[in-house]
Amino acid sequence: MRRTLWAVGGAALVLVLAGVLVASASPDGLERVAQSLGFASRESPVLTGSPLAGYESRFFQSRWAAQASAGLAGAVILYGFGLLFGRTLKRRK
Amino acid sequence: MHIPDGFLSTPVWASLDAAAIPAVGYFVRRTQAGFDEARAPMLGVMGAFVFAAQMINFPVGVGTSGHLVGGALLALTLGPYAATVVMTAILVVQAFVFQDGGVTALGANVLNMAVAGVWLGYLPVKIAGSRSRVAVFLGGWLSVMAGALLATLELSLSRVAPNGPLFALMLGIHAVTGLAEGAITVAALGAISRLSPKFVFHGEAG
Repeated sequence: MRRTLWAVGGAALVLVLAGVLVASASPDGLERVAQSLGFASRESPVLTGSPLAGYESRFFQSRWAAQASAGLAGAVILYGFGLLFGRTLKRRK
Repeated sequence: MHIPDGFLSTPVWASLDAAAIPAVGYFVRRTQAGFDEARAPMLGVMGAFVFAAQMINFPVGVGTSGHLVGGALLALTLGPYAATVVMTAILVVQAFVFQDGGVTALGANVLNMAVAGVWLGYLPVKIAGSRSRVAVFLGGWLSVMAGALLATLELSLSRVAPNGPLFALMLGIHAVTGLAEGAITVAALGAISRLSPKFVFHGEAG
């Protein structure tokens, strides 16, 4: 069981540290359709100014460091969420 | 397929936000009532893994990319109720921290990917069992198609583009992305199953 948790966590780390180097920068399906059909310009973000916007941290010059650190931050936040949510389940029983 | 702010008309995003809040509340309560505690350590690592996988776009041809959404993978490791909660958390973090997916469109994205994506991803295995690789693959494909179909309906109701090309392009592109989703879901679930068979969700209670 512990091995599986390390394996899945390790895979997440490899994805944020190395995967960002090979990720495609092309638009995704919805962005592509929005461009083709001319409604991409309707996009108007309600929220701006997050230091991690677009999965790139503002605190690093290098693109790799900016993406990897943003990805790491997101993965840590979600790991923390899972941990806390898991605790609320135990407390209820 | 994260819908940004501005694509959906106000009545559409507002009603979907209003619907998503009680829906997520329901899934949280159902998870708390029936979650198998042995699976609790998986909540964090699966959430982190699916978040990380969603960052990595792969080319799907004609200048378009796709990425794993992970609805079926979460459902088949955490069970569908907990999977809906974890996917919702991923979408909330993406909207507020990474500005991926709109804040007003969050309800739409939750219903598309965390509710429809997770539950349609789970359906084939619910019917055929998780030992069927075909069912797992189909779950991955269906989870993407369900999310894409709902997103297309919401965009159509918001009158962003003529329906014919909108449906054809959205469903056509995601039918291809869905194949990768199915293949990745089979491979990832296979790896987890070899390491810890008990982490594969077979459709037991919870």
